[in-house]
Amino acid sequence: MKSTRTYVALALATVLTTSLAACSSDSKNEEPAASDTTTTTTDSSPTEESDAPVTIKVVSLTPGSSDEAFAAFDEQVKAFEAKYKNITVESQEYEWLPDKFAADLAGGTLPDVFQVPFTDGRGLIENGQLADIDALFKELPYAGDFNPNVLQAGQGADGKVYAIPYSAYGVGLHYNRTLFKEAGLDPDKPPTTWDEVRADAKAIAEKTGQAGYSMMTQGNTGGWQLTVATYAHGGRIQVDNGDGTYTSTANNDGTKKALEFLKTLRWEDNSMGSNFLYDWGSINQDFAAGKIGMYTSGNDVYTNMVMANNINPDDYGLTVIPLDGADAGVLGGGNLAAVSAKADDAVKAAAMKWIDFYYMGKQIDKDSAVANAKIQAASNQPVGTPALPIFSKELYNESQEWIKDYINVPLAQMTGYTDKIFDLPLINEPTAKTQDSYAELDPVVQAVLTDKNANIDSLLSTADKNIQRLLDR
Amino acid sequence: MPTESDLSVSALAPGKNDADLAPTPDPAAQPHTRRPRRTPLTWLRGGGLSNLTFALPLLIIFGTFSWWPIMRAIVMAFQHTNLVNPATFVGWENFQFVLTDPLLPTAIKNTLYFALLALLFGYPIPLVAAVLMSEVKKLKGFFSVLAYLPVVVPPVIAVLLWKFFYDGSDTGVFNTMLGWIGLGPYPWLQSQTMAMPSLVLQATWAGAGATVIIYLAALISVPPELYDAADVDGAGVWRKVWHVTMPQLRGILFITLILQIIGTAQVFLEPYLFTSGGPANSTTTILLMIYNYAFGRSVGGDYGAATALSVLLAIFLAIFSAVYFKLTNSWSKS
Amino acid sequence: MTATRSLDAPVTNSDAGLTLDRSQLAGQRRAAKRRIKSGQPEGTDRGILSDSDRRRPGIRVGMGAVNVVLFVVLVIACVGPIFLLFKFAITPTQDILRTPMELFPNGIAWDNVTKAWNDVHVSRYFLNTIIMAGGSWATQIIVATSGGYMLSVLKPRYAKYINGAVMATLFVPGVVLLVPLYLTVLNPPLLSSSLINSFWAVWLPAGASAFNIVLMTRFFDNLPREIFEAARVDGAGPFRLFWSIVLPMSKPILGVVSVFAIIAAWKDFLWPMLVLKDPNIQPLSVRLPNLEATTDLGVFLAALAISTIIPIALFLVFQRLFLSGAGLGGAVKG
Repeated sequence: MKSTRTYVALALATVLTTSLAACSSDSKNEEPAASDTTTTTTDSSPTEESDAPVTIKVVSLTPGSSDEAFAAFDEQVKAFEAKYKNITVESQEYEWLPDKFAADLAGGTLPDVFQVPFTDGRGLIENGQLADIDALFKELPYAGDFNPNVLQAGQGADGKVYAIPYSAYGVGLHYNRTLFKEAGLDPDKPPTTWDEVRADAKAIAEKTGQAGYSMMTQGNTGGWQLTVATYAHGGRIQVDNGDGTYTSTANNDGTKKALEFLKTLRWEDNSMGSNFLYDWGSINQDFAAGKIGMYTSGNDVYTNMVMANNINPDDYGLTVIPLDGADAGVLGGGNLAAVSAKADDAVKAAAMKWIDFYYMGKQIDKDSAVANAKIQAASNQPVGTPALPIFSKELYNESQEWIKDYINVPLAQMTGYTDKIFDLPLINEPTAKTQDSYAELDPVVQAVLTDKNANIDSLLSTADKNIQRLLDR
Repeated sequence: MPTESDLSVSALAPGKNDADLAPTPDPAAQPHTRRPRRTPLTWLRGGGLSNLTFALPLLIIFGTFSWWPIMRAIVMAFQHTNLVNPATFVGWENFQFVLTDPLLPTAIKNTLYFALLALLFGYPIPLVAAVLMSEVKKLKGFFSVLAYLPVVVPPVIAVLLWKFFYDGSDTGVFNTMLGWIGLGPYPWLQSQTMAMPSLVLQATWAGAGATVIIYLAALISVPPELYDAADVDGAGVWRKVWHVTMPQLRGILFITLILQIIGTAQVFLEPYLFTSGGPANSTTTILLMIYNYAFGRSVGGDYGAATALSVLLAIFLAIFSAVYFKLTNSWSKS
Repeated sequence: MTATRSLDAPVTNSDAGLTLDRSQLAGQRRAAKRRIKSGQPEGTDRGILSDSDRRRPGIRVGMGAVNVVLFVVLVIACVGPIFLLFKFAITPTQDILRTPMELFPNGIAWDNVTKAWNDVHVSRYFLNTIIMAGGSWATQIIVATSGGYMLSVLKPRYAKYINGAVMATLFVPGVVLLVPLYLTVLNPPLLSSSLINSFWAVWLPAGASAFNIVLMTRFFDNLPREIFEAARVDGAGPFRLFWSIVLPMSKPILGVVSVFAIIAAWKDFLWPMLVLKDPNIQPLSVRLPNLEATTDLGVFLAALAISTIIPIALFLVFQRLFLSGAGLGGAVKG
């Protein structure tokens, strides 16, 4: 049982705390926490009482982001600390990668506030890794305004909120306008069907020598993008049986069509270039470097490409993924801001304030939005990258209006996406063992792209068997 | 002749000698069968405290970071641990899970394939090079430095560099160079069949130098009288190599062989950095599987499975080494 | 080993192009017998080829060819990639991508290097690597010297059990330790917080090297006991003996252990990647792969080049130390 261990741990912690208080560098919290926690990151100054100073550790930006990006972030931290004088914010770089995250989680080196994709929310909540912030959440003035579909990603089976969705994205088709022009294609008329994608990719490959179409394949992104393509062709890779069990249906017509498409482009047209081991970061890098004509990814990667990959804004174009078939839809995902279960009440409260300020503020409150936009724009950071509404479409449009003067991303080049996305059906990612399923599908995509004779049917049935094995465990 | 332990006891305690307290009557008896009566005082006087002080660093470090983890590994292999919930005993379940993992046969095959290729490339070449270098009089030192140079380059840097060399496009470094002699652009890491050999090629480049130096040292210590004797018997160069050099090197050759096998069985860096086990699991090795069990899942790793697989690997290597030593011992004696 | 032959029997022509005629053979045999008779000391300059062998034209040409071949192969294979690295480090990225093997068609990009040093902060990770290596070295020296001293010189009663336990870890492959060691570092005994994100997580486990203990113990075993006796007679206690007698005499083996320790620390990738999560304290080996996707190629290669300079420079300066340590000093014989 957890409680005995907890009491023992608590006792030890108190003894150790009092005996080591003199020599340890970060002192421990001496009030017994209401939930079962032991170490915290609070440092209590002996002079202040109830509005006790609190330090929280938060995530900042992806590693390798430019110094200007970090400077802009630091400015936000300063603004926050000015508003809440008793809270000190420490930040660390962060990129969500499946294996690093697991190790961080186990090692306890995740900060108090961190980001996870929707796909991990459920698993973490079930494992008790996220703090119960339901009460604090309900105190937020806009708690009731969330789009329920989106909020659900951060809710546990008990309906309580454990993590707050702060960004939602749909997957889009990114294309390089410069390569389009070089290939004799009209950059304002991006492809709208998969056949057009194929033709455009071929043209780019032939006329420019660069990869016409590319695909992510590593670090679970292969499975993720394959699911994107599956949805776009009307298939589903997982079925919720409604009784708590799930069936893996990777071997379905939609996925098959998606893989056939890749096979054709790769082996018949040879329009996919020569690199088939891309993950999220490296495909962005090569796209920004002008080596890729088109690829699919979340609609918000432009931000990252500015911060970390030095993209030339003139090159960038965004449109919707072509949909084909009755059940076709756009894969929608998002990111959650969560608080570590190890945080005590003081840290939790401070963490919520940070989430409210940094993640949510600019979407809700005009002044915060403008202030944030100003800081970002001043450091040449992207302002106004398209996203999907967390609240309502109206509020989203309104928030874009507020920061109109500061928008510095080439929105005109993204109309292919922004004009149409709200009319397309959005489909959530599969709910059970999502990352594990994606991991099993990575080799399938890699096989199709590296082996001319890959048997798609058998690859998919094997994947189904393997995924089912994990779903049933 | 007094044993060393005797020396320490008597020499370091110039005072009372506990030997006197022994009930053994025979003064001619071997010193180390005496049984002095040991009390804390005699221990202290016998230099026990200083002994302990010198033993302490070793005991603490080995105890905490070697012995305890090893024992813990064996325990963990039978538990379900994910650090979130307390560990529970699950008997053989971890082993069952690991042994029925569909990826395991692939990983075993890949590891064996890597070991085999590494032996093919990396075992004879250093030997030949060392033999040739040992006969070169003037430039031996220079050649040694050249050969060892790749070993000094930190492995991560070597891998990242070669990853860049292996770029599959027409303008990749290797493809450009092969293009000079009319060999087509190769996919290298992008191909399921070429990926593993590419890894082995780089690993050999990085490691061969160390083996060359080891062989060189062994070659230098071959007694010249043996060669003189061979000359007396009228042996030519190849004969001398085959009948004098090889047998003299036998010991070191056996040792480097088993060390190489044990090392390649645990290869992790190259598959991880070059291809993350791809494409399509063609470079996934056992170590990579263990790593993925423990640290590759985004929500709470399966440490029990990881330890179970590592224990299995360790047992296999132990049995293999035992058999190997038995065989080579019997060969050496013949 | 070699079959004896009667001195007058003709030598068969199994060695192509190296047949000896009667008079040459006779001369060689005389020289060989002279050497054996005069009992020349071991290691006197001859290997497979004797002096008279070398004077034969066939051999001379052959050895000349060997020299050339070795030179060309070693330079291209060993130095080539490193040389390319330095060339790419100062080549503009577009040139690297389009025409990698051409010689600076668009000039030299020195700013790759400055960007690598400043923007990519290579200097910081460099310092981290040095700190990591330094601490690991210190732990290893402390544990190995004190442990070896205790096992070899002091030899308390429990020495042989400790020795056995240490030897046993030699046969446990590193993979077994990975997960449980990680958990131990997460929750170290007696300490209230985890060691993750601190250099101690790397320094302390580094000391648990059975190999070092073996090296040290063997070396100490070979030290002349008379000197110890003399010191003890003069009243030296165990600490004095250790500090003023044993350690100064151990410089060679300390050199070998140090070289191994520092090389191992530079190479270390998996363990530091697991335990050093904060980018600010990560060493080069952990940090560079992370930056690959977000750094311009030319700058990235410049960072790789900078990271390689010091190990290479150290090697070139301390060649003898590296090579003698790497050759295991001929310590492992057949």
